[in-house]
Order: sequence, then C-alpha cells, then structure tokens
Amino acid sequence: MTISRRVFVKSGGVALFSLGLDPLFLARAAFAVRPSAGPSDRRVLVCLFQRGAVDGLNMIVPHGDPIYYQERPRIAVPEKDVLDLDGYFGLHPRLAALKPLWDAKNLAAIHAIGSPDATRSHFDAQDYMESGTPGVKATADGWLNRYCQHDREHQDTPFRAVAFGPQLPRILAGTAPSLAIDDLQAFGLRAPQSAARDRLTRAFEELYAGSATGLLSTSSREAFDAVQMLKRLDPGQYRPANGADYPRGKLGKALLEIAQLIRADVGLQVAFADVTGWDTHVNQGATEGQLAGRLSEMGDALAAFTRDVGDRMRDVVVLTMSEFGRTVRENGNSGTDHGHATAMLVLGGPVKGGRVLGKWPGLDPAQRFEGRDVAVTTDFRDLFAELLARHLGARDLSAVFPGFVANSQRFPGAIRG
Amino acid sequence: MKNQVVWRCLVAVGVCLPFVGAQHAAPLPFATQGPALTPHDSALHTLNRLAYGPRPGDVPRVAAEGVMRWIDRQLSPDGIDDDRLAQRERQFDILKYDRGDLAALYAEAQRERRERKLAAAETAQDSDSVGAQHAAPLRKQADPMIPKSNRLGSEFAELAVARATLSERQLYEVMVDFWTNHFNVYAAKGADRFLTPDYIEHTIRPRALGKFEDLLIATAKSPAMLFYLDNWESVAPGSVPPAALRVRARPIFGRRPGLFGPGRDPARQDSVRRRALERTPKGINENYARELLELHTLGVDGGYTQQDVIDVARIFTGWSIERPQQGGDFEFHDWAHDRGEKQVLGVWFEGGHDMDEAIRLLKLLANHPATMHHVSRKLCQRFVNDDPPDGCVDDAVAAWKRSSGDMREVLRAILHGPDFWAAANVRAKVKTPLEFVVSAARAVAAEPDTSPRLAQVVARLGEPLFLHVAPDGYPEREAAWVNSGALLDRMNAAVALASGKLPGVTVELDSIVPVGDADQLIGAVNEKILGGTMSENTKRVLRRELAGISDLTQARALAVGLAIGGPEFQRQ
Repeated sequence: MTISRRVFVKSGGVALFSLGLDPLFLARAAFAVRPSAGPSDRRVLVCLFQRGAVDGLNMIVPHGDPIYYQERPRIAVPEKDVLDLDGYFGLHPRLAALKPLWDAKNLAAIHAIGSPDATRSHFDAQDYMESGTPGVKATADGWLNRYCQHDREHQDTPFRAVAFGPQLPRILAGTAPSLAIDDLQAFGLRAPQSAARDRLTRAFEELYAGSATGLLSTSSREAFDAVQMLKRLDPGQYRPANGADYPRGKLGKALLEIAQLIRADVGLQVAFADVTGWDTHVNQGATEGQLAGRLSEMGDALAAFTRDVGDRMRDVVVLTMSEFGRTVRENGNSGTDHGHATAMLVLGGPVKGGRVLGKWPGLDPAQRFEGRDVAVTTDFRDLFAELLARHLGARDLSAVFPGFVANSQRFPGAIRG
Repeated sequence: MKNQVVWRCLVAVGVCLPFVGAQHAAPLPFATQGPALTPHDSALHTLNRLAYGPRPGDVPRVAAEGVMRWIDRQLSPDGIDDDRLAQRERQFDILKYDRGDLAALYAEAQRERRERKLAAAETAQDSDSVGAQHAAPLRKQADPMIPKSNRLGSEFAELAVARATLSERQLYEVMVDFWTNHFNVYAAKGADRFLTPDYIEHTIRPRALGKFEDLLIATAKSPAMLFYLDNWESVAPGSVPPAALRVRARPIFGRRPGLFGPGRDPARQDSVRRRALERTPKGINENYARELLELHTLGVDGGYTQQDVIDVARIFTGWSIERPQQGGDFEFHDWAHDRGEKQVLGVWFEGGHDMDEAIRLLKLLANHPATMHHVSRKLCQRFVNDDPPDGCVDDAVAAWKRSSGDMREVLRAILHGPDFWAAANVRAKVKTPLEFVVSAARAVAAEPDTSPRLAQVVARLGEPLFLHVAPDGYPEREAAWVNSGALLDRMNAAVALASGKLPGVTVELDSIVPVGDADQLIGAVNEKILGGTMSENTKRVLRRELAGISDLTQARALAVGLAIGGPEFQRQ
C-alpha cells in the first residue's frame, strides 16, 4: 500500500499512524542500534547544505520564549502551529514529516551552532564551513575530502564520496577521489547501442589516460571507474522501497539517488547535496510562505529517504548544515537578515535523538551576538568532528580540521556512544 | 597611438625583465629574447584567451596580421565591422521588447497560469511551486504550452551564446561575460525575470570596455540589481510613504499568485489589506550594501567593518524602482532616505544629503586601492592564470591609476605584460562550460539559430546563463568546473555537436575537415580544430578507432567528436 504525498502532507504526517502504519524504518531502526559502537565500512554520512543561511529560529522554534514572539510580530510561527519537541523548542509545522523520527529518537537538533568567525558573508561563511577552517581563506581542500584522504581504506570504489549536483562542491574538493553526479541515469557516454557506447567509452578513456594532466587526469579516471560500476547497477530500473514518495525537485531527486547507491552497496560512504532557497530577506512567511515551502520540501524528502533506505538507516546519518543563521528580529521587509548561529539536524539509526542539543544562549539582547543574533555556543567543527569520529570512525581529526583541537568533551552528543 | 602602445610594451618588458627573466618577454619583434612563442602559438594563445577560441583559419589570419595589432583592434571594438552578428541578432525577438513589454508578457503569463490552475481546481502546494522554480528552468522550452515570456527568456540565453560564437568583437564579448558575472543578477528571482535582458543590454554591454566607475554607478541604479539585492525595499526606519493612506494590495514578486485574487469575502479582503500594510518596508536592508563592498568593489579582505555595511545601506536608502511589476525605471524615494550622518571607511558623510551621497560613495569605492586590486586580480585570473601572478595584478593596478579606471588601459597593461605571454601560463587554464561550448561551436564554424540548443548545453555542463543564484557570479577556477560528471557531459556534447545532432546548430564540416582516410582526417583535425596541439597518444587512439569505420562521414564525425571531447580541447 502506498500513501499519496498529498494525504501525508495535509495531515502533517500523523496520517501514517492513524492509518495504523509505522514508517518501516522507525519500526526497525529504533531497535536496531548496533551492539558495537565501532566504525563500520558500511556506515554512511549524508550531508545536506542549506545554502543561503537557514533561519534556525523558524526551523527549530524556541516557542517557549516570549522574546521570540516580541521580535517577530509578522513572521513568528504561532504557538498553536508549532510541533512541540521539549516544551521550549518545537518543529516548524511544515517539518511534520520528521516528527515521527523525533519520537523514535532518531532525530536530534543542535541549536546555537555555527562558526567562530563572525563573517556575515554567504560566500565566506560557506567557504569556511566547507573548508573546515573558519577564518582561513587559503585552505585548498574541503574537510570531507580531507577525511577521505586520511582514511584510505575505502579507496576501492569510485562511489566512496559523491556530490549530487552538476559541480563538485568545495567541501569535497581535494586530492582524494570524489564524484559529482548530476543524474545517475545519464551518467556516462551516450550512444544509440550499447556496443557503440562501450567503444566510445573506451576511446575517451584512453584519450584521457594518455594525454590529460592535472585535475583533468584525476577527474577523468574517477569518471570512467564510475561508469563501469554503474553499468552493472542499471539505475534506470530503480524503484524506491517501502512506498517512499519523494517530492518533486532537486533535493528529492538527489536523496533518491543517494538511497539507491546506499541500497546497491557500491561502497558509498560520504554523500553530499545542496538545498537552496534559504536567504529569506523579504517576506519570509511564518506557518505558510517562502520558508515554509522550503522546509516542507526538505522534511518530505528526508522522510521519503528514511523510508526508502529502510533498515539500512541503522548505518546512515544525515546532517543538515547552513553557513549561518539569521537575525533574531525580523527586518523591515518581513524577512530576516544575515545572522550568526543557526540550527542543524542530525538523523538516522546511530543518532541519539529526541533531544535538542547544544547550550542554548537565550534570545535576550544582552545574550545575543553583537546584540542582534543568536550567539554561537557550539563550534560547527565539534559536531562535524563527532560525526567523523563516532559515526565514521575517523582517528586523526587534526588532519581533517587543521588548527583545531578536537575534544570529545565538547562533542554535542549526537551519536550513540 | 601606436607609439604609445610600443612605449608601454617597452616599459612593461623593461620593468619586468629583471624579475622574471628573459624567457617571459612579450612576443614583440624587438623583445623576443629567449624561447618566446612562435607567431602561430601566440596567435592561438591570444585567440584562446581574448576570444572564445579560433574559428577555422583564425590562427594564421591573426598571426599574419600581427597579434599585438589584433589585440589593439579588439580593444576598440567600435572600429570592427560586425554585420554578420547584427544580421543574426535581428532574428532574436527578445531584442524587440523593452522591459515594460516583457513585464506585461510575464503578468499575462502569470494570469493565465492562475486561471489554468483555478480551472483545474488544484490547490498549489508551496513546496511544488518553489521546487519547480528551483529546478532548471531551461529544460522545458519544448512544451508548446510554455508562454511566450518563458520562450523569450531562454532565447536571451541563446543570444548570449550566439554573440560569443559569431561576433568579430571577441574581446568585447568576453568582457561582457566577465562583468555579467562580476555584477551578477539572478534572472529567476521575481521581477528580474523581465529586468535582466534590459540590464545586460543597457547597463552592462554599453560599458563593458569603459570606465569602471561608470559601470558601477549604472549597476547601482539598475532596476535589475536593485531588485536582486533587495535595495529597492530598503528604507530609513520609521519612514512613511506619502501614499501610505491609500492602502491597496501591492503585488509582490515571487509570491504565490492566489493571495491577490479577487476576494469577495470581506474577512479575506481585511487580511489582504493587513498583509499589504505589513509588507510596507520598515527598515534598512543590508544585502546590496554588503555585496557592493565584498564583491563589486573592495573585496572580502578590503578592510571594511559591519558598521561600514550598515552605513552604506543607510546611504542607499530610497534607491528604489518605480513600479517594478511593470518594468519601471530607477526612482529615488526622498521619503525613504536616511538623512542622518554616516561614516564609511573612515570617510565622513554629513547629514542632510539625499541621493548625491550615494554617488559620492560609489566614486569613492570605484577608485579605492582595494577595489583596483580586487578587480584587477579577477581580470588577471580570467586572462592569465587561475592563480594570478602578483606582477600582472600590479601592472593592471598601475594602469588603473594612470587611466582613472579605464578598462581598456587596464586590459592593455595585462595583455602587454610578461605574465600573459609566459610559457607557464599558456594552456594553463581549463575552459568554463560557456568557453568550452562556444569554442567548440567556433571550431566547427557552427551557426546557432534562435533555438536555445547551445545555451541548454552550457546549462547542462553546469553554467545556466543568468541563473547563478549567489551574487558572486560563476567561478573562474578550474576546480569549480572539472569533475568526473561534467567531463563526461563535455564528451557527450562534443560527440553530439560533431555528428550534427544538436538541432538548431548548423555544422558544415566539409570545408574544415574534408572526408578522407584516417591520416588525412587526423591531420586536418589536429590543424584546424586543435591548433596543432594533438598529442601522440590522441593520434594513436584516433587511428585505431577510425580503422574500423567504413562510412567516411561517420569516421569524420567520430574524429571531430573525440578531438573536441578530448583532453587537449579542454584547455585554453
């Protein structure tokens, strides 16, 4: 039986339960915690970058604080609409699809997280979050790539690190092989017959193997390895499992393809995708509107992903990140301007969920950063380092985050220990 | 004029020689000491960097003319006859509409869409409409239901490709692309759907080889930029528009259309009125101010503070658009302007001024040393190396100072400097998707018509024109473009182009690479398409692949496709 997306969205996800259906992943994953906390070569980290700086305060709403409502007369999510999480924080109502994951303790939020660098420039802040070196512009590679450089045991697969999109993002740039895939099905050379296709593939492969230099050489080698594996995989035949229904759009497509690679066991360990549209300077909206539409798409896509991946979610963690948060007070255009700390989500089987993590600094002007923004109490590297160490089993974090001393005492506690 | 050029060359070479050594000398008759480029190689290098690659016959033609003379002509594009392009431009309907016409077309298309939706009794879901907006808008043109306004939008992207492909004023077109990215707007954001063509035609193109200050001021005043970076809604806190009492629902772009439908229900009308009131801007918006400093002028390390950003935003309060929904022009709103005193980069702006203080600020920024350095560095990155040599940047900055920011002089300094000609910088850059597609089209003398095929290929390779969301524009560095997926896409595009499978792009290979045996084909492809850069390995692979093909036309298409999709052609 499948549930149409419309029913699911309209009833805010609760319909699943009222119909007597548990999301399959919940039913299993809640009890499927791995007995050993050690790293596994089957473990996967999926990173979603909310480019444009998501308004953490309207994503994970501090509805228990009257200042939130005072500062946002036009765009606060009304108390009656918030999906309460712990009495103080609540989910934006259009993230309802994620509430069952929270209830099953497979979803955690980290609030007041961000960069120690004070920049309010999207480009700088994204750059720092991807290079993993806040304040240092000269870092050549991204932290996910440095993790791959450092833990080499997954090198036998071209699908170890994959970015879903037309370009390889900064976070995966570097010397360790990584792929950018815009469309799994169309990946490779096109020719009317498969014999011609194979021949064309071989010809180009030899052209590049013999004459390409620098980045052209490494990228082409990765490309042809991947083409060979995908040929065996036949992605055109893929059907999402467990009735998972991905929303239309780039994110749904990216998550579907990530799920496909996870289920195909091709050795995917690090996946990355962008989610755009968070720079809500004007008419941000509250329960409905611009931001609500983006959150709805993200929540529905993540819910579909967890259903599709099914019991493999026991090995998968999804992280959402964004370069900074937005001003506590709404601006003159019913929007919010560039701020400082934001909120991130972590979900999956290994997650110690059902909690809002991080030290909450409060919204009082005296507690804010420069009097206007949520202060950063968790360095984003503390969370990223925890995911690498406790989920993927990274050993030497100093190579991944140069100039940063990772300390498990400061880990937010997102992963079951 | 000529003497002046020669003098500059001598100065540039003379100054730089002690630092960089003789092998970096510019390829001038009197300066060719050491292993300088041959006339053929310098013509090829110049056509790869200052133009979108050579067309058949261009390399010997430019070498015969003299590469420095060709560069000089390119720096004065008005003197170059461009009739062929002018004829082709007349086929593009988009150029017949001004932004008011386009606004009306969009409004009409929106109304029709709304009616279709109502007729289908479908409730639009936010996530769907927003998602659709973010999905590549270029993919849908084949649908006859797509309104004219959309077709015109994709036609505009193709116009950019056609100009780059066909124009004789190649350096000028390269600079148009440079400024389009430097002063990026996102053509899928609300009113920018119909403001962008006007922006490119009347703001960027007339000033692409002029003074930086003029271009900066023109972009600041352009409705497209004012809308894109929200400045049109930035007002002094507490200011009230004179027409505030006339409360009417004011359509806002990028909103769901249903909100402003005819409401018979009085409660609904109240809510519309309340929302309209709520939407009246109530304070400053820092977005334009920040990007003006960080991207357009000083650069991110340009030494400004958050307080500078705020005061720049205050200086620009009231810079707005007259009826943006109708494609209106720039309008200064006196009532919205913050007349208090401000301070930017330590310069005092006394109170009581109106729009003149922003002009003063723009002039200050345009001639600030940090701006000269930031923009010169980007130019050197574009023309010389992804990691621009300091000497190149210094030469450009010096020319900027001498000429008060005349871009022709800045370019002249870069192109006459030793770094541009250094062997280490030849073929050191990888083509962007636009450069790859256009150079491929030029290599096979393709004739694009108004159908958006080539622009679609550019989009598929990762660079949908006028659709870069963030204000930093498309990146110049190879790391942003070279990845396995994009490389495979380039190979596919090359094969499609060479075999004539891109409808709307006429390719006539007979005069370039006549059919023949394998050795003849390889020789012609190497000379005409790769400018003699074909490696031994490529020759070997081509020879083997061609051996099994009896159909001569097929063999030729394969040879050309492999060459354009192969590693040599990705470099410039």
